[in-house]
Amino acid sequence: MRIKNPKDFWAGLMFIGTGVFFAVFAYANYQMGTAVRMGPAYFPFLLGGLLAVLGLFVFLEGFAFEAGGEPLQLPFNIVDLVIAVAIFAVLLELAPRIGLSPDWGMLAASLVVSVLTVLYRPNAKALVLISVACLVYGYSMKPLGLVGATAALVFISAYGGHEFKWKEVSILFVILILFSYFVFVKGLTLPFPMWPAVWS
Amino acid sequence: MDLFHNLILGFGVAVTPINLLYAFIGVLLGTLIGVLPGVGPVATIAMLLPITFNLNPVSALIMLAGIYYGAQYGGSTTAILVNIPGESSSVVTCLDGYQMARQGRAGPALAIAAIGSFFAGCVATLLIAVAAPPLAEVALKFGPSEYFSLMVFGLIAATVLARGSLIKAIGMVVFGLLLGIIGTDVNSGVLRFTFGIPELSDGIGFVVVAMGMFGTAEIIANLDLKDKREVFLSKVTHLYPTKEDLKRSWASILRGTALGSCLGILPGGGALLASFGAYTLEKKVSSHPEQFGKGAIEGVAGPESANNAGAQTSFIPMLTLGIPGNAVMALMIGALMIQGIAPGPQVMNEKPELFWGLIASMWVGNLMLVILNLPMIGMWVKLLTVPYRYLYPSILVFMAIGVFSLSNNPFDVLIMAVFGVLGYICVKLECEPAPMILGFILGPLMEENLRRAMLLSRGDPFVFFQKPISLGFMIAAAILLVIVALPAIRKKREEAFVEEAK
Repeated sequence: MRIKNPKDFWAGLMFIGTGVFFAVFAYANYQMGTAVRMGPAYFPFLLGGLLAVLGLFVFLEGFAFEAGGEPLQLPFNIVDLVIAVAIFAVLLELAPRIGLSPDWGMLAASLVVSVLTVLYRPNAKALVLISVACLVYGYSMKPLGLVGATAALVFISAYGGHEFKWKEVSILFVILILFSYFVFVKGLTLPFPMWPAVWS
Repeated sequence: MDLFHNLILGFGVAVTPINLLYAFIGVLLGTLIGVLPGVGPVATIAMLLPITFNLNPVSALIMLAGIYYGAQYGGSTTAILVNIPGESSSVVTCLDGYQMARQGRAGPALAIAAIGSFFAGCVATLLIAVAAPPLAEVALKFGPSEYFSLMVFGLIAATVLARGSLIKAIGMVVFGLLLGIIGTDVNSGVLRFTFGIPELSDGIGFVVVAMGMFGTAEIIANLDLKDKREVFLSKVTHLYPTKEDLKRSWASILRGTALGSCLGILPGGGALLASFGAYTLEKKVSSHPEQFGKGAIEGVAGPESANNAGAQTSFIPMLTLGIPGNAVMALMIGALMIQGIAPGPQVMNEKPELFWGLIASMWVGNLMLVILNLPMIGMWVKLLTVPYRYLYPSILVFMAIGVFSLSNNPFDVLIMAVFGVLGYICVKLECEPAPMILGFILGPLMEENLRRAMLLSRGDPFVFFQKPISLGFMIAAAILLVIVALPAIRKKREEAFVEEAK
């Protein structure tokens, strides 16, 4: 049977999954309480149930009844997304076992997922590289300092776009790091380290 | 004469050099992001929130408010000159504004947009000053059941007015409410849905969610499209509208202002809805509807007045009830909370300088916008020639720095990235992120009030239908739902959004 409206189909699935998860997790782990004295599980249980019911409506509509609607245009497969997240999670688990600190583990996992994306799913480049760029910025701030983190963010995110020219991006990086330094570090006195930790 | 005294107090605060400076920065930034497509007021205000921590509350709010209504001005400039809505609320201005520009009448179109906006801004400011104190008075009498019902009404209204599927919008609200629950439960001290992650014990930061859903998600979605922005610049020759233009547009400006002011107050309303509504209204009442879409000046005057009026009156529920009507107002509440001020009706009495200072600054800001916009149009349009591939890494740097500086913790940036992915998926699945953000900010408040109301009523859920004010909100919410669910109106609503979205 063909799915009539894939957008509603997936949105419905997303709602059902989230709703059931919240409701079950709340029911299993926290106290329900009574209507007079609600326990911590009461409100999330109600809402989770409501979300699951709403999701079911959307799901059924998308699955069988509602025809039309534009096709879902994703530049990649939803299964690919799940696989990428799984790879990322496994790498995060593995990192401490080979002696990496959690921060470096996060950076290493991001790097691996990015390289895999660029090699095998170039269409998902924007999604993965923009997200990874933010991640890397956060986790490299302490070890690499503001200069290193900004460089990582600018180059990775620029690589996620359509055109990438080393010269342009380098100039952009210099402008942005100068701006960050004068406005945020000098002007607003935010306590960021400027240079990699090993240098000082 | 209370109003008069209060306004004098307000202007006393607003025209101090430091606040004038922040109002100026606000409207300047607002115009800037209004001109640039792909950068909205939500992301910008979210970016600046951490910075406002170092300012005093009045200056912070003045600046943030300036960004919001400034963006409405800037958006119209690009809509008229290059047929690109810099802001979602100026989508409809493209229709007739750009046609006017093609006929060599860009000047009058811009001037009418500015005049209409300024007029609407003045009226809306006055309306806030008149309407807010009595509303706050009423709100002070609200108990937990009234608050709960009000929030239910607000959230329902927000979904009804959102585009697209109603069930999906309600689903997004509930999703947001659930996400708002993450963190420590205030009543029992239990950590809920934190999964052993210590950073989650205070809940997910609102700024982080907003930046992810509106900032990174938007960038990713934009990169999916090809960078095909081209700028055809029409020359702006004479700026002044003719007598005929003024004659045709003054009524539209009045209607737009009135409609925008009303729609702005509604939860879920604000600038976007106001401009769409005004365009439809103008087309309906016009004696020559066939000219619309071909350069009718009413099609510029009405929506432009309406979006500015709506942007300003949406402050009313935020200031008097402490309840945000749209995502920008939710951020404003975030800004107040960063400053240690609990938003709500008591703000007006406890911090009159903040309340009236903000209102007076809106008028000052509107004046600045007229001065800033008309003579400097050329400069703003030049900005459009900056390609997106330079813009988005810069935006990302500012977002990352802002999020990171919240608590110097990389975990916040991780959460932003996660919500970026989620926001992107939501956009692709046609699930609107705005209702989710509203749910997210109202979640803890709603649970708190629900618990209190149920405790007071000894577990009787009918308490919400027994108190008159609470009952009123519930009935209003039910009516809204029924109306939208009726097949005939449902079809009309869909048609209306389809037509407007073109």
